Amino acid sequence: MFASIVAFELRYQLRNPVFWVVAILFFLLTFGATTVEQIQIGSGGNVHVNSPAAIAQIHLILSIFFMFVTTAFVANVIVRDDESGFGPMVKSTRVTKFDYLLARFVGAAIAAAAAFAFVPLAIFLGSLMPWLDSETLGPNRAGDYLYAYFVLALPNVLLTAAIFFAVATMTRSMMYSYVGVVVFLVVYLVVSSTLRSKPELRELAGLVEPFGAAAFGNVTRYWTAAESNAMLPPFEGALLYNRLIWLGVGLLALALAYARFSFAEKGLSARAVRRQAKVAARLAASKPEIVAVLPPARPAAAAGARLLARARFEMAQVFKSPAFFVLLLIGLFNAGGSLLFSNEIYGTPARPLTFALIDTLRGSFGIIPIIIAIYYAGELVWRDRDRKMHEIVDATSLPNWAYLVPKTLAVTGVLVATLAAGMVAAILIQLYRGVTDISMGEYLRWYLLPESVDMVILAVLAVFVQALSPNKYVGWGVMVVYLVGTITLNNIGFEHPLYNYGATGRVQLSDMNGNNVGSALAWWLRLYWGAFALILAVLAHLLWRRGTESALMPRLRRMPARLADVPGVLIVAGLAIAGASGGYIYWNTNILNEYRTRDDVEARQAAYEKKYLKYESLAQPSTTDIKLAVELFPREQRMDARGRYSLVNDTGAPVTDLHVRVPDPDVKIRGIEVPGTKLVMEDAANNYRIYRFATPLAPGATTQLTFVTQRWQKGYRANNNETKVVANGSFLNNGEFAPLIGMSRDGLLTDRVKRRKYGLPAELRMAKLEDVKAQQRNYIGNADWVTSDITVTTDAGQTPIAPGRKVSDVTKDGRRTAHFVATAPILAFFSVQSAAYAEKSADAGGVKLTVFYDKKHGFNVDRMLAAMRSSLDYYRANFGPFQFDHLRVLEFPGYASFAQSFAGTIPYSESIGFLADNSDKEEIDYVTYVTAHEVGHQYWGHQVVTADMQGGTVLVETMAQYSAMMVMKNLYGEEKMRRFLKYELDNYLRSRGSEAIEELPLQRVENQGYIHYRKGSLVMYLLADRLGEDRVNAMLRDLIARYRFRSQPYARSLDLVNGLKSIARDDAERQLIADLFERITIYDLKARDAVISKLPDGRWQTKLTVSAAKNYADGKGKETPAAFTDSIDVGVFAARPGIGEFSKADVDLIERRTVATGVQVITLVTRRKPAFAGVDPYNKYVDRNSDDNVVAVTEG
Amino acid sequence: MLELAHVSHVYANGTRALDDVSLTIPKGMFGLLGPNGAGKSTLMRTVATLQTPSAGTIRFDDIDIIADPEKLRATLGYLPQDFGVYPRVSAYDMLDHMCVLKGIASAGERKSTVETLLAQTNLWDVRKKAIAGFSGGMRQRFGIAQALIGNPRLIIVDEPTAGLDPEERNRFLNLLVEIGENVVIILSTHIVEDVADLCPRMAVLAGGRIQLEGAPHDLIDRARGSVWAKSIARGELADVAAAHEVIATRLVGGRTIVHVLSDQDPGPGFTAVSGGLEDVYFATLATMRRAARPAAQNAA
Repeated sequence: MFASIVAFELRYQLRNPVFWVVAILFFLLTFGATTVEQIQIGSGGNVHVNSPAAIAQIHLILSIFFMFVTTAFVANVIVRDDESGFGPMVKSTRVTKFDYLLARFVGAAIAAAAAFAFVPLAIFLGSLMPWLDSETLGPNRAGDYLYAYFVLALPNVLLTAAIFFAVATMTRSMMYSYVGVVVFLVVYLVVSSTLRSKPELRELAGLVEPFGAAAFGNVTRYWTAAESNAMLPPFEGALLYNRLIWLGVGLLALALAYARFSFAEKGLSARAVRRQAKVAARLAASKPEIVAVLPPARPAAAAGARLLARARFEMAQVFKSPAFFVLLLIGLFNAGGSLLFSNEIYGTPARPLTFALIDTLRGSFGIIPIIIAIYYAGELVWRDRDRKMHEIVDATSLPNWAYLVPKTLAVTGVLVATLAAGMVAAILIQLYRGVTDISMGEYLRWYLLPESVDMVILAVLAVFVQALSPNKYVGWGVMVVYLVGTITLNNIGFEHPLYNYGATGRVQLSDMNGNNVGSALAWWLRLYWGAFALILAVLAHLLWRRGTESALMPRLRRMPARLADVPGVLIVAGLAIAGASGGYIYWNTNILNEYRTRDDVEARQAAYEKKYLKYESLAQPSTTDIKLAVELFPREQRMDARGRYSLVNDTGAPVTDLHVRVPDPDVKIRGIEVPGTKLVMEDAANNYRIYRFATPLAPGATTQLTFVTQRWQKGYRANNNETKVVANGSFLNNGEFAPLIGMSRDGLLTDRVKRRKYGLPAELRMAKLEDVKAQQRNYIGNADWVTSDITVTTDAGQTPIAPGRKVSDVTKDGRRTAHFVATAPILAFFSVQSAAYAEKSADAGGVKLTVFYDKKHGFNVDRMLAAMRSSLDYYRANFGPFQFDHLRVLEFPGYASFAQSFAGTIPYSESIGFLADNSDKEEIDYVTYVTAHEVGHQYWGHQVVTADMQGGTVLVETMAQYSAMMVMKNLYGEEKMRRFLKYELDNYLRSRGSEAIEELPLQRVENQGYIHYRKGSLVMYLLADRLGEDRVNAMLRDLIARYRFRSQPYARSLDLVNGLKSIARDDAERQLIADLFERITIYDLKARDAVISKLPDGRWQTKLTVSAAKNYADGKGKETPAAFTDSIDVGVFAARPGIGEFSKADVDLIERRTVATGVQVITLVTRRKPAFAGVDPYNKYVDRNSDDNVVAVTEG
Repeated sequence: MLELAHVSHVYANGTRALDDVSLTIPKGMFGLLGPNGAGKSTLMRTVATLQTPSAGTIRFDDIDIIADPEKLRATLGYLPQDFGVYPRVSAYDMLDHMCVLKGIASAGERKSTVETLLAQTNLWDVRKKAIAGFSGGMRQRFGIAQALIGNPRLIIVDEPTAGLDPEERNRFLNLLVEIGENVVIILSTHIVEDVADLCPRMAVLAGGRIQLEGAPHDLIDRARGSVWAKSIARGELADVAAAHEVIATRLVGGRTIVHVLSDQDPGPGFTAVSGGLEDVYFATLATMRRAARPAAQNAA
């Protein structure tokens, strides 16, 4: 009996469309997370998409989401008999309560588990997709999937099934069951985020967090990506107990459900009976309005009424359905999460500005509306038939369009409701975060309106497909194929929006430049696809299935005759609009502009490398002076540049050929002249030219190059629309509009897989540290030290900016021209910007500091000015003089999110520092940090530039990090640095495992960000602490003085390492420098316990047990232990360092003690009774597990 | 006047549901009698434009139904054999919605239509109840109410009395008779009395073909003298069936009355029955089976 009920229930659930809808939804979500870079669930990124850890993460996160689904399955068990009226019949059979209730539960739970099995399936299939970069993939191991499914996901599915089964049993209502889900989720999120914020509660969290996410996280928290790619946490300890505890809770919930369930139906209360009687009496009392002759039907006059009534009817049916509620909740949950954490940098939130939130919404909500459209099109088109109303309804004179249009409207209505829900979520988050002026206009123009039109276009397709399909399931299948096909086509190079149904290109939003990038094209595409949708709608009208017929042929045969009237006109109109708009779009994307697919771009890069890389080390004259006149026409997206380079042959040998190139394909060369030369090679497609001197340029001789170039996006491109020259917020560097002399590696293909695909070596390695020839070139594109004279002209409403002191600024005839002359040598690497800016200035010892910002983004301007001042103060005091009398920070649109230092000029993306919300004092002040870093580059990069070789970035990036760290330390105190150091440490440890080639020691870093930024910060902070900040700075001042504005030979990392060694006072310090720079060293410092006791004199003694280890790792992460003895901070504290408001007042004692390999007990004596004690409490060392350095004390 | 000429329909699975059906149906009630599976519903749906026949033409007055189904639908009332309802929708609201679908745009006209029909079908008191909770009879009455909206000139009711208790059935049929004078009503049924009581004209459809057509009286007259009855013990039935062509049996007071078909007196105990329509109907079915049997043998 039990088994057959289980089997029946399972069959029932498997036939239920809900099963297939969620199975497909979760399949697609997972498939997307696995195969599309832009969609990420949980982990991914640094670890293989199919690594054990990523598989586990996806299972964990989706199994939490899945409670919406399990609830649908199990609540259905309880609710459906009451709803269908079958209840009494079933309940009066001999079936026992146990069989009835539990067998059905088991069947439903199995169905839920089966639906969840689509998640591992999707990861597996996703990992096989050909477009995935093989570097992001590891081997597929059955064990990883089984572990994730059976250890993590399945218990969660069963747990939520049991809990919400109990809720459904008690409430007997789908709606209230879902209210239960929401309550559960909110409580869960609140409790788990509280637990997460307290490290001392982590062990507890591992047990009480119902889904095992905390238990799993506790084990894997400090895994490097290499470990994540290879290992799974053993199923023991907290994880095992967690699973057992919560399975127990699940059983309890079931028992509760069993106890509370009763076959008997509740009778009506006496009051309800009275009320019903009253209603009946009232109904009986009113008399019908009776006519002798019924009014005739006048179908022709009823069009409007029909449309309205049908639309209202269809919408009501949809909005009242539980599935809509479920989908909406899933979508909201998803969007809410992304919105809450979007644009966080260093864990610091961004101000929730509308444009940024809309971007997040578009990303996170992306697939949900599509699933909804597909699902509801099927439901609506087939509903009359499913309800067996079709014979009655179809025999009425209701015209086909009066089915089609309302159904499409209803689907659209649901979709727009979903969009609006996302919008409401975004607005709520804005209100929660304190934004009070909600920009409804932006929401409408940038989000709701365009996306709604997209939704109509999508809904029409879905309805059309269903109208032609022989049944609902085929229709759904076709739509899923369409969806997967769209993703696939895009990934294999079929990217043109003219043949991807409903494609609208990419609209990039910016507060500075609005929706100017991509929006116009998107609306043209909407017109184009709208016309297609119109044709599809008319066809659906003509071919609408009526009555009992499902074959398409009879309808097809009847179609031509029916085309005659309005439908024909509409089709012709649709074709005309599609033709005209399509033609216009094609003219824009393929004739005015070159249509380049991703493959085209890559093939071009590969060909470029094959042809020209051989010239990389060809000695070329150096540029000494640059004179430039740039005309910007922002509204036209046009830039005209004229310029003159003065060149000198400093190569020491005659130069026969001058290589001139403009790597950016969007730039047109209008003319280049080099006197005394002949153009011997012109590659117009690649903007590469070789000029040959009639008589070779003698060593020391000079010459000049003059050029005219243009950058002008006419109309719209299919992809990669211009984001450099824009209506407001233009920002270009010289490589984006002016010629370069000689070949370099910038802009070549870097992806190893793609390089191999094009027959290139998998990687281009840098020159070795020992290769002194490489000191002839610097790593910033081999840019020379030059004098500059730059004139920028733009529209009168905008401020033109380029490096140099502004010597004139004239506005005439609606154009504003500013003239900049550099007062110190600058690199031939500079920026040009123009936007409608607000300005705020301050003085810092004779240097004019200015922040140029969009007037809406004044939030952090003072903070930036303060950071610039603090930075300059520190650098001038410690590193040497600043070379300019001005220092500018300029906002540019968030089409890219970085800040970059040019001479005296720092372009800074609106999507980072300008929007940071530092109202929470506990968060990292990255605005100051990033600003200090960029100001640091005015020394490290713009005074000292390094060789294009291993370690080249150390004296530029690592030192900028160091400079910024020192500024931060001065501002916030040493006690506050732990949080920051830990952030850098975690980032380093996480990133090193995803290294594709090999991890190198710091002094040999090959432009690897996680080494020169993240590890570099830790290394230099520790060394400054250890060797003495003043001593280090004195050495640096000397180093800068030696290399200031110096060309060949350029500085290298060894200059820094040798400098540090020169100030080392003993072997331990020398050893430390060597370990940090010359090797990859990973420490493991741990505070085992700390026992305090009160001494007779009233002071407190802490016996701190410390274990220590040091390992050397090779480039692949293989470690070998090494003995070590070092002098390391130990301390006792009143509060946990780096958490909350920890400050100097909480430090009872911190001092250096000798710590050696192995376990040792360190005794510390303090006046105050301490609460915490630890070794390296501020995380200055590269410590594999930085969270076990501090322990709470225990009384002995 | 509804005219069907050589209408045939073959389903995708090969079932020949209609086989060269030609009929002319004048104003008034027309009974279409036939056993289950005879093709009645196929014929009804075909006339109701819900299905396109494989061959043949159907005309209603000057409307070519196959080429121009929309025109017919504007003047059609159809009650299918089996229909479902939307959940949570009351009779009043559903009927109102049906008015819109049928093309009654003005709210006032809809109100009078809905209320008149609810009163006529005796559903006024339960108008606010969800149709999903209606009894079979109430649901059928709702079905006929919606079929009458907008004064259709052609009304098709497919097996409307199945499952109704006698009182419900009478009320239902009376309703049909009231409106049946000026329009064409096709009533399909397998219950002979429905036709006998109400329809001036009728046809018997079996095996996809029209087996018999005419006025019930004429048909009864024609059958006179060929149907014989005998009261037998229950155990004798097998013998009688072997010797005679039994068209119907009926239990009366514990004994079985058999009706057999025979041109002459079939023998002792048999008395000629004046014959009702039922006998005509059963005789027709029996004749058809007889005709089919040799054919089947020949085929074998």
